[in-house]
Amino acid sequence: MKVKTNRSDLLLQIFAYVFIGFIGFVCFYPLLMTLSVSFSSEKMIAMKGYSAIPQGFTLNTYIYIFGNSGKEILRSYGVTIFVTAVGTLLALTITSMLAFSVSIKDMKYRNVISFICNFTIIFGAGLIPWYFMCVNYYGLKDNIVGLIVPSMFSVWNMFLLRTYFKAISQSLYEAARIDGANYFQIYARIAMPLSKTPLLTVGLMYALQYWNDWWNALMFVDNKKLWPLQYLLYNVLSNVNAVKSGRLPAGAAANIPLPSETVKMAVTIITIGPIIFAYPFVQKYFVSGVMTGAVKE
Amino acid sequence: MSKKNASSQPKKYGVIHELKKNRILYLMCIPGLFFLLLFSYIPLAGIWMAFTDYNVVDGIFGSPFVGLKHLKYFFFGTGMGPKSIYNTLFLNVWGIILGLIFPISIAVFFNEIQGKMYKKFTQSMMFFPYFLSWVVVGTLVYGLFATDVGVMNRVITFFGGEKIRWYADGKYWKPILIIANVWKWSGYNSIIYLGAMTGFDGSLYEAAEVDGANKLQRIIHLTLPMLKPTAVVLTLMSIGRIFFGDFGMVYGIIGNNPVIGDSVAVIDTYVYSCMRSLGFSYSTAVGLFQSIMGLILVTLANAAAKKINDGEGLF
Repeated sequence: MKVKTNRSDLLLQIFAYVFIGFIGFVCFYPLLMTLSVSFSSEKMIAMKGYSAIPQGFTLNTYIYIFGNSGKEILRSYGVTIFVTAVGTLLALTITSMLAFSVSIKDMKYRNVISFICNFTIIFGAGLIPWYFMCVNYYGLKDNIVGLIVPSMFSVWNMFLLRTYFKAISQSLYEAARIDGANYFQIYARIAMPLSKTPLLTVGLMYALQYWNDWWNALMFVDNKKLWPLQYLLYNVLSNVNAVKSGRLPAGAAANIPLPSETVKMAVTIITIGPIIFAYPFVQKYFVSGVMTGAVKE
Repeated sequence: MSKKNASSQPKKYGVIHELKKNRILYLMCIPGLFFLLLFSYIPLAGIWMAFTDYNVVDGIFGSPFVGLKHLKYFFFGTGMGPKSIYNTLFLNVWGIILGLIFPISIAVFFNEIQGKMYKKFTQSMMFFPYFLSWVVVGTLVYGLFATDVGVMNRVITFFGGEKIRWYADGKYWKPILIIANVWKWSGYNSIIYLGAMTGFDGSLYEAAEVDGANKLQRIIHLTLPMLKPTAVVLTLMSIGRIFFGDFGMVYGIIGNNPVIGDSVAVIDTYVYSCMRSLGFSYSTAVGLFQSIMGLILVTLANAAAKKINDGEGLF
């Protein structure tokens, strides 16, 4: 009996290792493939197709991209970085102020404010009225503000932060109140410094959202100069010719074979590059954010 | 309600008094509330367009009133209306089913793994897709399904099959989208279940072990029942949004491919494409249908959650 139990446990354990390893591989394989194709030569890809091992290793694709559409890509990088930095900062400020306020029990109408927030999750006007107001009245068409402001406040993130703020002992605040501090000072000098990790978590969530955003660009931006990276990639994809649009200097064209499959994948890598680099350091904050958000209270 | 209570009390405890006393807290709420006013509450007025034939000259409230004409057209006038509803529900129902099976099995088996490094490594890989935008996922899908160079066709021809022209036939794309969705979210959702598992009572497991239950029995009789509340809440949340398609997923992977676009059009992408072709009023009406279904289902789901979880709603 004892032996049998142990054997079934062992089998289960082996299965767990294999299953999880398999899922991990499946989740990661497409990225590996993209990376390897971006370092492959176009000829080899045309002959042998995509694979997870670079074929005919070369940097030509990257040289080609930065040689021919480097300006476009660098400008899009600039747009994305600007939008991400400014957007995250503003979003974090707005969200944390509201989250702090509704975490204070002394505030009588905090439930009213929570309801005003919740209602927007339950019922919305839909895409068209939103778009109509943004374009006709708020002037967000072809305006970099249109890439930032519409995503500046997330009710989910607000409630996530509130959960963290609620965990701070209110007696700390009371002591500060007695010393004559007002609530903004308490927010700035006590609540925020005590919530560095939660703020980092929510800040990273906003940053990821801004970095990955192409929806706002699809809605508002026609002017190529304001394209964020993701939207540039979207356009490269839906129209590969966006990159090969004949802006080739006569000399360079002779040496470098015209890529297209590899260009797509290289632009993808360029787009997610910073995420890949930051991933090992930021992953744990997201994990804790997901867990806290899910458990709630 | 609170207003009524306040006015029946002496004036110094009324609304004004409260707003004055905590004015700094209320001031701190203003930017957030102003955002919601601009992007959630003011657009509600635009819903009126759904009942008119909007034209620029007459504006939202001056355009001729046509009642339910647009909603009728959505249901009966064109095949695309019902089709987009069907597609949305189809993708979401599969998303819910696979969204239970995969994350829960990942969490359960992940928990059985002892090696810390192995755990860290595999979790990093499984969580990674969450960090990618749908546009990036679109390029990855392309790499797998491109006709001449894609990995899938290479595997098929390796085994002696014929190349499939994936991007020329709509019938393949619902399953592909469903798989892409599971692929992107399973790691994320498994973390939610793992989070729930950290709260489990370890002594229950020890007791079961003493009683001779093996690991599989412990999973079936302890872990899974204890994960049920989390699973129910997550499922109810998805049901509340079952009439909302994932615009980013469909548009990021399919783009505006005219050949396969229709066969995977969800309500959200349909609204977007109608905005240009059939005008603001019609697409507002379609969006309104979606919002109303959302309101009903979220309310029902919340009530159900309260009933199941002893008064604790979804939000």
